[in-house]
Amino acid sequence: MTALLEIRGARRRFATPEGGHIAALDGVDLDVGGNEFVTLLGPSGCGKTTLLRAISGFEQLDGGSVRLDGADLGALPPFRRPLNTVFQSYALFGHMTVARNVGYALEVRGVDRATYEREVGQALEKVGLSGMGARKPSQLSGGQRQRVALARAIVAKPRLLLLDEPLSALDRNLRQQMQLELKDLQHRLGIAFVFVTHDQEEALTMSDRVVLMRAGRIEQQGSPRDIYRRPRSRFVAEFIGETNLFSITVERIEGGLAVGRTAQGLALWLPAAGLRPGQSAVAALRPADFTLEDGDIAGQVSRSVYLGSDLHLFVRPNAGGPEIRVTARDRAGAPEVGTPVSLGYDPAAAHVLEEA
Amino acid sequence: MQSRLGWAVLTIVAVLFFVFIYAPLLVIVVTSFNANPVNMLIWDGFTLDWYRGLLGLGERATDVSNRALYIESTDQLLAAVRNSLTVAAATTAISTVVGTATALALARHRFKGRGVYSGGLLLPMMMPDIVLGIGLLIFFVTIGMQLSLLTIIIGHCTFLISYVYLIVQARLAGLDPALEEASADLGASEWTTFRKVLLPQLAPGILGGALLAFVISMDDLVITYFIAGTGSTTLPVYIFGMIRRGVKPEINAIATMIILASILIAALGLWLRSRKTD
Repeated sequence: MTALLEIRGARRRFATPEGGHIAALDGVDLDVGGNEFVTLLGPSGCGKTTLLRAISGFEQLDGGSVRLDGADLGALPPFRRPLNTVFQSYALFGHMTVARNVGYALEVRGVDRATYEREVGQALEKVGLSGMGARKPSQLSGGQRQRVALARAIVAKPRLLLLDEPLSALDRNLRQQMQLELKDLQHRLGIAFVFVTHDQEEALTMSDRVVLMRAGRIEQQGSPRDIYRRPRSRFVAEFIGETNLFSITVERIEGGLAVGRTAQGLALWLPAAGLRPGQSAVAALRPADFTLEDGDIAGQVSRSVYLGSDLHLFVRPNAGGPEIRVTARDRAGAPEVGTPVSLGYDPAAAHVLEEA
Repeated sequence: MQSRLGWAVLTIVAVLFFVFIYAPLLVIVVTSFNANPVNMLIWDGFTLDWYRGLLGLGERATDVSNRALYIESTDQLLAAVRNSLTVAAATTAISTVVGTATALALARHRFKGRGVYSGGLLLPMMMPDIVLGIGLLIFFVTIGMQLSLLTIIIGHCTFLISYVYLIVQARLAGLDPALEEASADLGASEWTTFRKVLLPQLAPGILGGALLAFVISMDDLVITYFIAGTGSTTLPVYIFGMIRRGVKPEINAIATMIILASILIAALGLWLRSRKTD
């Protein structure tokens, strides 16, 4: 199966004001399938937006290629590329009605009136804005403008839709609702979405595949579950969700499990796969992996943060070392500060990073 | 209590401010209807004679009257108005197109010498009119160009392009660059984007620049005085010539008509703008 979008060895350097260069893209290879929701995730300056703009044609690559459906896009100006973009600022044309905004791609293409009316109506319907066509963008709410931008980008039926942090201007509730709607829309349209965001929660919610970028390179890519449960490096583990990292030295292997010990003497049970005695490694355990009782890490609750359904606890291990973050259900008798606890966990949940 | 006092003071200041601005204009309008031909500060009854005289509607038989010394003929005045309108229309058209194109080029393209170019554009605006006027005169004489309406148009364009550039550029700076990208992304060529997105978005700025250029061109005396040839006298130069031979009532009538025309143009501009934002 060949991918819809194929990026090979994408490179782009920018001159810095100090006279040097920084690599916004430092050799990126990426494939996107025809029906896939791929999220480019990373901190600002990681190159995710540059990569998106290289696909849409607003940024030229210094090296490498971008192919859509086998055809090289490199020489094509943005207006000849058969893909569309939803912009972060929405970029709606304020002097046009909603309907004319949505129909813009058809208007410049010169389609006949009947087709134009039908397609615009369908696009508006798909985003739930039927009947709003006569309004001006300034008369709409933020969420509605977002939908207009979406309808405008899908009206020409592109096979690939690029989305540049389109939800960042919305408030939290609306953002979560739009996340689900976007995923649903992608499914119904049956086209590929490449979505740029710096919000890891957003990436996990919507994506078929998360591509985590760092300093112009792809740090790790995989399904949301994969990238959450099996981070390759410390950077990934810390960027995606909250995590507890333990630097350990492997003491011994017992059956399928390894025993590691931190510098403070805290012992941890880990899956033994690939570990040798004497080796140093970094183990990651998510806050939700811990139970508060019947474990072998003795400690005291040092802080507790109320989060609604959950309770976020900070536990100071008696052995010393950094506090361990634990997520617990909020029920009667939640431990107060100073309560002794013994943290337990399933050793299979512990993950050893490939790279420290 | 104190706030009521403050409010009263504020009101008085505001009223004085508007009196300060508009009183001279009001004086001119009132005196243009004063029948006293010698001392315009003494009210001698209401008359439309000065307007009739200007528009050639008066009894022309009494051309021997001292008035004839000042208004040699209505035709001259009308010729001056026609010259002014011609110059202003041509200047507005040229400087609006060139100024807008310059603003677009400087905002959207990076090229060598861009900084020098944009800085150099502001210089003619800051230059004293008299310096610009003398400079233009010497220039035209040096290259052997006959002073005419054309030299006035060229002279006005040298600094009005800067005005239009500045206004359009300010509007352009406030425009989201993503608008043009969105248009391109949706399949529009650069020209289509200019026509369908950029031009409508910039229209209020371009219109504002054009109106300003028109008004300044109509109004310019100092520069025009140097570069206007015989037979290409504009209205301000003509009025200035009349005043040198004494302030006469007809001048008040001309001034009043100019005020009326300016108000109409300004109202038109405001109306067009308010229509845009609907």
